Formats: sequence, structure tokens, C-alpha cells
Amino acid sequence: MPIKKRGTGLTAVADAWQLADIDVTASYPIRPYTAVMAEVAKRIANGLMKCEMVHGEGEHAQFSIAHGASMAGARATTGSSGVGVAYAFETYSPIAGGRCPIQALIADRTLDPPGDFGSEHTECLNLRDNGWIYGWAENAQESLDNSLMFFRIGEDPDIMLPQIVAMDGYFVSHIAQDYEMPDQEQVDKFLPPFKPQFRLDVNNPVIMGPQIEPEMGPPLEWDRNVVMDRVKEKIVAVTEEFGKIFGRKYAPFVEEYMTDDADMVFLLQGAHAVTCRSAIRYLRQAGYKVGMCRLRWFRPFPDTALKAILPKFKVVGVVDTNTSYGAAGGSGVLLVETRASVSEVPGKPLIQGFTSGLGGETITHEEFFKMAEMMKMTLEAGRIIQDAVWVNFNDYLPAVSEVQAAEQQVAQTKE
Amino acid sequence: MSKTYKQVPFAAIVPSPTVSNEHMVTGNWRYLRPVVDKGQCTQCKTCWIFCPDACVDFSKDEGVDFNLKYCKGCGVCSSVCPVGAISRVPELDFDE
Amino acid sequence: MATAEMIKTIAQAPDKEYYLPGHRTCAGCGPALAYRLIAKASGKNTIFVGPTGCMYVANTSYACGPWAVPWTHAQITNAGAVGSGIAEAFKMMIKKGKIKDEYPNIICMAGDGGSIDIGLQAASAMMYRGHDVLFVMYDNESYANTGIQTSPMTPYGAATMFTPPGPEIPEAKKFFPKDPMAIFCGGGHPAVKYGATASIAYPVDLMNKVRKGLAQEGPAFLHVQCPCPKGWTFPANRTVEIGRLAVETGMWFMYELEDGVKKWSILPKQLKPVEEYLQTQGRFAHLKPEHVAKLQAWVNARVQTLGLEVPLPPAR
Repeated sequence: MPIKKRGTGLTAVADAWQLADIDVTASYPIRPYTAVMAEVAKRIANGLMKCEMVHGEGEHAQFSIAHGASMAGARATTGSSGVGVAYAFETYSPIAGGRCPIQALIADRTLDPPGDFGSEHTECLNLRDNGWIYGWAENAQESLDNSLMFFRIGEDPDIMLPQIVAMDGYFVSHIAQDYEMPDQEQVDKFLPPFKPQFRLDVNNPVIMGPQIEPEMGPPLEWDRNVVMDRVKEKIVAVTEEFGKIFGRKYAPFVEEYMTDDADMVFLLQGAHAVTCRSAIRYLRQAGYKVGMCRLRWFRPFPDTALKAILPKFKVVGVVDTNTSYGAAGGSGVLLVETRASVSEVPGKPLIQGFTSGLGGETITHEEFFKMAEMMKMTLEAGRIIQDAVWVNFNDYLPAVSEVQAAEQQVAQTKE
Repeated sequence: MSKTYKQVPFAAIVPSPTVSNEHMVTGNWRYLRPVVDKGQCTQCKTCWIFCPDACVDFSKDEGVDFNLKYCKGCGVCSSVCPVGAISRVPELDFDE
Repeated sequence: MATAEMIKTIAQAPDKEYYLPGHRTCAGCGPALAYRLIAKASGKNTIFVGPTGCMYVANTSYACGPWAVPWTHAQITNAGAVGSGIAEAFKMMIKKGKIKDEYPNIICMAGDGGSIDIGLQAASAMMYRGHDVLFVMYDNESYANTGIQTSPMTPYGAATMFTPPGPEIPEAKKFFPKDPMAIFCGGGHPAVKYGATASIAYPVDLMNKVRKGLAQEGPAFLHVQCPCPKGWTFPANRTVEIGRLAVETGMWFMYELEDGVKKWSILPKQLKPVEEYLQTQGRFAHLKPEHVAKLQAWVNARVQTLGLEVPLPPAR
């Protein structure tokens, strides 16, 4: 029987790893992800998990240890946050190119400087071009569920790619919430044992990762490119199967909230969706026809889904919780990817970039209201009024009455 | 005209060879060929143990033989031979 | 600890090759000879981890390789970490009954850069954590694959692409090399119970040290001097001769450290002057008498540090 639990995104992933019977995990302390390793260590010590935890001497080693374990045929995991994710950078492409489906948990964190513990998506987005598949969970339950789904997709013989279960540091990784830990039988039905076609086996020796001729490089990279299309197909099938077995139905790529009659939507990923939904309910009361699109995957980027969804709206406000200094549009990575997704689609909406929630700040109701108001101005103007909006820094709206009204309404509710 | 690429197996994972690596034949590097004087050879196997390319074959009946398909002609065998039984002969002196 | 089966003579060495003909290493390559002897000694039940370096690039060009046993690439930075992961994966999968394999010999074959320079952190951590892996440092005293640049093992006075001699720096390389045995086996890594130096010029000794290292439960370290015709600038046929000369002049010492106890594998009765060694290699051709004297003084000091009782050539 599934168990009702109270825990965090990190204990939830520890549950997933326990259910997936991982063989090797590689640790190194850095906040906030580190609590998952503390949790796994406890479970190993108590005999709940049969897994070797190797204490890496840094993140580069963590990912290398997991890589080695995976080549030997083990189900292996690791994880990190912030500058730790950056420190391991050399290893990402060899792991993905070697088609080793290890799983990493990244509870995201601001890169230095400043020394800031808070959530930001930047470090995890930095490795977007290395062939890993990943997406952000918005709460503990989705973290657990993503971990299981990602194993299933990544280890599929047609795929064989490493995965990142990404979550907003603290918001998801550390806030206690209710979730359900599935039953072992359900998991066994959903996730078969990891049996790679090739492993380091003295009875079937192979050479892994040799140098190649220049004429062999592009075909290998082509393979890594086309497999991403297969990942998209798998995501659809696996998400549906997950729903049938576990009873939790997720949108494969993009969750839509109150979009039916919306002419404006926020587009974002991760935990800020929780606040966003709540802000939308107030905005609806104040007469804004606004909704939300939450990305469940970042790689592969759900461009096909967005092509179908976004033309329904007139204005899309992309909320970037990351920095990409000097990027086209002057905002973050999501803006660039979203614009590129629909750039050739007839009837595409106006796509406005917002940077907000950096450095672990929550995006407050008030900030969502401001963004909604700016989107409304854009809608009415029928053009992008100002690109590169960093909320609270260069907002293009004057102090508008609607926003004040909305703020008052919030204040009253809080009383 | 479209370019032809070389096909590579999944993730460039290739089977290990069993006898020799046919994809890297190195005998054509050689300009001095090792030649053993079987009369002088004491079958001590010193040349065999020191060949970096595992190109000295040895059997009790045949004694020392060289794998000329791969031998690079480095001459280590000749230098380590304790009785000077291995000479290095220019490749151009041979018909084949 | 399992007992290693010792090889007494060249004739007793196993016939079977696991490092096969067909690789793009230079003619007379010292590291290639080391690879062959190590593979021969370790046998079929072996997995090699090959971090970037000559023995990756020259062996695996064109999507192939010369090993009859499993081999995997690692980054030049992380042989120790990848080896650790492989070791623990096998231990855990065997324990859980997920595979039927016998625990394999896991050998990291790292160059001097991949062991003691950019690879030092991973090597040290592997040895600290006690993984059952043999870490071999094949030492050709430079970054040779990239065209001969200085490494921490390049001797004082050697010319490399990054340390050319010139009027301002007449001796070329200015620093003296690191001492890997002291670093890995000098007490700083308590889990390492066996460490040894070896040379391709002494193949039976090398093969036995491989077997001892593998028989040791837990990590073992092997530092193998591998003369490099290209990098050291000498004719390809002299690889073995120069390896011997290194030992005869005290530019290389052959010993084991087993449970902290030093045992000499080769005890020279008298050391030849270091100049005899230097004369054989173009990388030292620019040295002036004062530089030679400095190297001789270094050798003489090493002899004292290592506690070797042998008459010394005078340091001029």
C-alpha cells in the first residue's frame, strides 16, 4: 500500500531511490541538495537501503564515480547544488555521450557571487547543451514521481541518457509537505531492473569511449540529437503509464492552469507555480483573463507542445528565475527558448520576458500582479513595450490603480 | 554531392579484439626489419618480453619469429638481445 | 589478502597477450611496453580505466583499441573516481546477486599528469577511501601526447615545449619533480598497504609487482618509469637501455613499500655518474656542468632520503 508521508522534496527523492533499489550513490556536501545524501546515508546505516555511498572528494568526483558505476552496470545516482554543479562540468558530456543513464538530483542554488543559498535555476540551466534530460518539479510529490519517471525514460534501451531531477532549492527541497510514497509492487511494475546492453564485463569485453576519426564524430552527435526526439515520444507514453499505475496524472510537457479563456499567461517552471496559481485566482477576481503554463521538462525543451498551446494566447509572460547575461531579449534562458519555439508559428503571441525570483526570493503575489499589469499594457499596445524587464528594477508600469486594488485585496485576505 | 560519414556503433562502444587490432595495422611504419639468426639465438625470450607491440612470436619448435604485419621496426628486440642475434635490415633490401 | 602467483623468469611469463598488436603508440614506446606487461600479469579478469593521455589517444585512435579485456576511457582528471565507481558497483551488484561476475582486477592506467598533477585529487581520494583498485602511474615524465610539455615529473634540466632552454633560463626546467611514492605511500594514505616503483627495463619485477598490488585487498599504487623516445629524444631502439641506465645512475630507484616497510628490488652496488644518463637524451643536451652538478646533488640527496647505502659519485 502507498504510504502517506510528510517530508521534503529531498526525502521524497530518497524514497524514490530506495524504491528503485539504486546500487551506488556518490555524495559531497553542499546546501541544499545535501540533505538527500544524509537521508540515504541513514537508510543505508539502518539497513533500509542496500546501496554503496561513495563519499566523493568533490562534485567532479561524484559524477565520475556515478559514471564508473553505471558503466559497470549499476543503477547509480548523485546530486548537487549551485557552484557544485558547476564544478562537475567536465563530466556532463562524457556521461551523456557515453550513454550512461545515471540520475542526479539538483536542488538549485544561486551561483557565486554572491554567496547565497537561495534557489535560482541558473546553474542547472548552464549544462543544458550537454545531452542530459531534465525538468523541474514543483513539490515533493512531483520530485518523487519525476525521479521514477526519469529512471524509466533514461534507462530505456532506446534512450540511455542521464537525467536530472531538478527542484527549487529550499522551496521544494526543504519545505515540509504531504506526499505519498508508492508501494514497492507498483514501482517494480513500472520500473524494470537496469540491464544495459553493454557494461564492463570480462566475459564480453568492449572498449568504451575510444578516440574516433573526424568522420565519426558528427554521426555520434547526430545520434545524441535524434535521441531527444525519441525522448519526447517516451515522455508521452511513460507519463501516461505512470498515471495508470500510480493514479497521478501529469501533463507530459506543459501543465496549463486557467488557460481556457485566457488571453495572457505566465510561463514558468518549478515551485513558483504554486504562488503563481494563487496570484492568478486573485487576478481573475480583479478581471484579468490570465492563466499559467508550467513546463515539466526543460530538456528536451517542449517546443512542439508550446507551438500547439501558445497561439491560443495574446501575451505570454515568461518568468525567468535564472540569469543569462547578455542573452537575446535581455532576460533569461526560458525567454530565449520560448521565443525560438514559436518564432515561426502563425498567430504567435507577444512574448514578454520577466526576470524574477533570483537569489532565492519568492515571487510574491504583488510581483505577479505587477507582471500581469505589464502584460495587460503589452496586450493593449499590441507590441512589446519594453524587453528585458527585471521585476522591481525596470518595470515599465507606473503605479497603476488596478495593481493597488489587487494589493489591497491581498492585504484584506491576509487579515 | 552529399558527404559520406563513417558509421560508428552505439556510443562508440566497440568490441575488444582477440588476437590483434585489425583497425590499426602498423607494419608499414617500419623501415628497418628485425631479422633473427636462428643459429645464434639461445631462445632466452628477452626480445619477446621487451617488444612494446607484442610482435615477437615465440614457440619452442620455431624459436623467434616477428609479426611483420604490426612490427614498427623500433629495434628494441635487437638492442636487448644478449647475444646479438637480431639484426636490423633495411626494408628496401626485401622483395616483399 | 590473496597470494599472488609470482613469476620467476622471463620464460615463466604467461604467453597470453591482453594488450595486442595494433596501436598507434610511437615505435619503442615505453608506456606501451608497460601496458603490455601489466595486462599480461593481470590476465583475463581485468578491467582497465584509461584516462586521457598517450595511452588513451595513441591506443584508441579511430574507434578501436588493442585490449582483449574491457577498457573504458576516463577524463584525465578522474581515473581514480571512475575506478572507485566501478569497484563499488561490482561489490554491490555481486552482494545483491544482480550479477554472477567474480570481482575483477580494476586497474587505472594513468600517466604522470593523470596521476600526480590534474588527476591527483581523484587518485588520492580513491586511495583514501580504500577501493580495491590498482592505480598504475605510467611515468614518461611529461605531457607527451600533446607534444611534450612539462609535468611535475619532468626532471630538473629537461627541455620541453613549455620549458625551452634560452639565455635567460639556461637549464630549461627549473623545478625538481614530485615524489609520488612519498605522496601516496608515505603514510598519508593509510589504506594503501602496497606501493612500488618499477621500470619497463625490469619486466619480471614489474609483472610481480602488478600481481602483488592486485592481490592486496584495497588500493595499491605502482609507479612505473617508462622512457619515451619522442619526449626524451633518443632513438627508439634504446628504450630499455635507458630504463636500465636510469636505475644505474640513481635517476630511478626500484623499491616496494609493503605495510610501510621498504624493500629494495634492485640495490645498485655503486651509482654511475648521472651525466652518463643525461648524455643519452636530447632533452638534456643544453645542460652546462653546473646544472649537471645540481642534478647529481639531487640524486645524492635522494639516496640519503631513501636510506640507500651506496657509494656516491661526487657532485661537482
